[in-house]
Amino acid sequence: MTKTVTPRRISRRDFLKIGGGVLLATAGAKLLPAFMRRGIELVDVASAQTAPPDLFFAGTDGWIYLPPTPAIPPYHPDTLAPAPFTTYIFGFRNVLGLTPTQIANQKMKAQHTAPLFWARQEVEFRLKLTNLGLQMRPDLTDAHTVHWHGFRDAIPYFDGEPHGSVAVPMGKEFTYVYRPHDPGTYMFHCHVEDVEHVHMGMAGLVFVRPQQDGNTALYPSGKYAYNDGDGSTGFDREFAMMLTEVWAEAHWDDAHIQLPEWSDYRADFALLNGRVYPDTLAPNGSIDPFNPITDANGDLVPTPGYEHLQYQPLSSLVQCNAGERVLLRFASLGFTQSVMTLTGIKMRVVGEDATPKRGRDGTDTSYWTDSLSIYPGASYDAIFTAPPYQGPAPYDTYLLYNRSYRHSNNLEAGGFGGQMTEVRVFPPGTLPPQTIPNT
Amino acid sequence: MVSDQPNLFERNAREKEFDMHKVFLARKFFWPAIAAALLLLLLFVAAYRARPAAAQMASSDGMVCTTGASPNPTFVLTTRTGYIGTPDGNVVFMWGLSEGGNPFQHPSPVLCVNEGDTVTIILHNTLSQDISLIFPGQENVLADGQPVQPQFDAGGLLTSLAPVAAANGGSVTYSFVASHPGTFLYESGTNPGIQVRMGLFGALVVRPVIASDPNGGRYFAYNDAGAAVTSEFNHSPSGEVLILQSEVDPYLSQAIERGQGFNLNNYHPRYWLVNGRGFPDTIAPNYASWLPSQPYGALAHVQPVDSSNPLWYMERFINVSSQPLPFHPHGKNAVVIGRDGQPVRGDAGEDLSFERFALVAAPGQTYDSLFHWHNREGYDSATNPVPVVDPGWANLQYGMYYSGSPYLGMTGPFPPGMSTMSECGEYYIIAHNHALFQLTSWGVPMTGPGTFMRVDPPGGCSPMP
Ligand SMILES: [Cu+2]
Ligand SMILES: [Cu+2]
Repeated sequence: MTKTVTPRRISRRDFLKIGGGVLLATAGAKLLPAFMRRGIELVDVASAQTAPPDLFFAGTDGWIYLPPTPAIPPYHPDTLAPAPFTTYIFGFRNVLGLTPTQIANQKMKAQHTAPLFWARQEVEFRLKLTNLGLQMRPDLTDAHTVHWHGFRDAIPYFDGEPHGSVAVPMGKEFTYVYRPHDPGTYMFHCHVEDVEHVHMGMAGLVFVRPQQDGNTALYPSGKYAYNDGDGSTGFDREFAMMLTEVWAEAHWDDAHIQLPEWSDYRADFALLNGRVYPDTLAPNGSIDPFNPITDANGDLVPTPGYEHLQYQPLSSLVQCNAGERVLLRFASLGFTQSVMTLTGIKMRVVGEDATPKRGRDGTDTSYWTDSLSIYPGASYDAIFTAPPYQGPAPYDTYLLYNRSYRHSNNLEAGGFGGQMTEVRVFPPGTLPPQTIPNT
Repeated sequence: MVSDQPNLFERNAREKEFDMHKVFLARKFFWPAIAAALLLLLLFVAAYRARPAAAQMASSDGMVCTTGASPNPTFVLTTRTGYIGTPDGNVVFMWGLSEGGNPFQHPSPVLCVNEGDTVTIILHNTLSQDISLIFPGQENVLADGQPVQPQFDAGGLLTSLAPVAAANGGSVTYSFVASHPGTFLYESGTNPGIQVRMGLFGALVVRPVIASDPNGGRYFAYNDAGAAVTSEFNHSPSGEVLILQSEVDPYLSQAIERGQGFNLNNYHPRYWLVNGRGFPDTIAPNYASWLPSQPYGALAHVQPVDSSNPLWYMERFINVSSQPLPFHPHGKNAVVIGRDGQPVRGDAGEDLSFERFALVAAPGQTYDSLFHWHNREGYDSATNPVPVVDPGWANLQYGMYYSGSPYLGMTGPFPPGMSTMSECGEYYIIAHNHALFQLTSWGVPMTGPGTFMRVDPPGGCSPMP
């Protein structure tokens, strides 16, 4: 990138949004990542090395909310938690665009799940990471990393696995550079002390948009899950569904300077985008990764009436118009199996682990289902067509939930909770086109 | 009978007290311990090379086969008992089967045969309870010449899935024709809830008739040489890797060792292993001297796939535990071409392979997969540098397998007092069970069911001076 480009305001991503690959060789060539520019002009190494980040994460600790009853004494709710919160976490925060003072203020203000973000195929993506330390654990000097889980052919330097690579100590910064070549749904997490840091909440979902995006000839929206060549993965709306879990004892242990025996692991709470039902339906906070909204201190702004979800900003509510195609992007960084079931609507599984469902000879291996078995570390792309609107309510409701019932309640016998959300189908034309996932 | 197993020495752990009070390793003290273990690893190279020659020398990395004389290979498997070491410093009592006169090993030998072979397995039982072997995926298995049938007692109760070798010295001879290629398991069919978990299991690999075409020297997992996409793999000595996943409950082992009863309702694994070892032992060489009863490493040792090294590598997954296990290789997805010893193809030969970065094997299930690592960006310090300013060791925490340089085949300065395990700037890229509470050894994190892919620079590793 040349120095004439204004940082952040014209990103490479925005540039490519204008019109697919054709424009690549025009005046914007200098905006392109080095690997695409090769053959166009010489790489400006120095400026490429100092280009601004597309996203900036801070690793730290914090508190989130899970239903306090029934209690799991002494672990849940944690008596150290400031109201209205219940549960200690480690996590990432998006500090893009914040001042150094604002960034420092975010210590102890982690969110869960980690901020959702996305990149575009063949467009270099720069993710900067800093480590603010753990306010509740001054005795711990853990480093952090970002491991983009599933990224093919990663070199160790950008893989975030701390034994074969580098990690970011407290007070330091590192920029991960990704050149995504494979569209699909992935996840990311800190890989330092990974059983602990992942479980404590340093986990989120990331996806890669295909180069085919923008081609309205195959599907009217011009949005696709993969470079399918036939529109079969086209969709109108997309929703990330990040599956994580909370073992109350392990979270309490970290707040109280204890260590859990991990082989005794159990999932007390199963979370969808960092929340349990019915909080999964509550509105989004600031979720646009590239235009974060904060208060003057750089902190997340709670939605009025949902103050308890201040650090759990990502909604799982699926809203769509009848007849639209909806892409559900599932990824799991829990430690046990989830079986996500959509009642009354069939889903077509078009991708697994960021790979289109095609054999090596092109054979279509996509399939219909209403239940997806998802193990730790796996991702799925499933598309459904919203059924006709029936009424008379303003929308028809379908449930999306974990059929392992232990994981679709909040410890309350017979109660609903956990990994559960609603799909609301409105009459055609009710909702405007989607601009940001999960909205 | 030809075996490539060298003589192993009895672990003197037999004298050690089996200590159920596990040593608590605080995280601050754990890594120095691992560093010491890895120093041993480097020292080991010389010891490894001095190992007495066996009939078939095993490579330091890659799957180790115990083979017989095709087309009638015969294996004599005798029960042994012994101890395995776990990454938390514990030793755990196990049962095993050893070939011929070999001492205790865990897991039992990897038997490799050719398609069409008539395979004979003579099972000798020195344990105080009846045992048997079953061969899931094999058809028409005979026991002492008679078709294998489940065994019932006089009251009609099922006692064994196959005819047994009786307790305290009994024998039975199983035989079958290995009629189709693939990756299989053999395991106890008698009281398997105890016996399999105690270690009476091993891998069985059947190579296709076209595997060792003497003209072409090409290697396949299945008979698909003529298909549009095939199972051909890179047959460098370490180009074929076994990922045999298992679990261990040390209280079960203790009860068995002491001759006590064990209530299986209390079964609770504390260790999860790959090829019978827990990380970091998994990346030690085959037959590492300090793991005398755990001969099989799990390091995938490769070079980047490119036009001069075009073939992908082969990974064979087996889950002998009692729960599904998700395995996540960083940077190198598993392209699954076989499942339970069957090629993943439709009836018309269409390719139904699938690519996973989290491959979930159910209990007893096997997968055959192809993998590779491609130097996609071709970063080069002179001509194509990484597009960041390297903050350097003063501003980063370096892992001991990091070379000090982002570039393949280069090393860089390391923090004072710390040294890299890298010999020539090779890459170490991890692969591990992603049910992360299992990526532990009774409380010690980042150990257990994990291993590395080691990527050497093109042409191989020439150690830095
Ligand atoms: Cu991961
Ligand atoms: Cu990992």
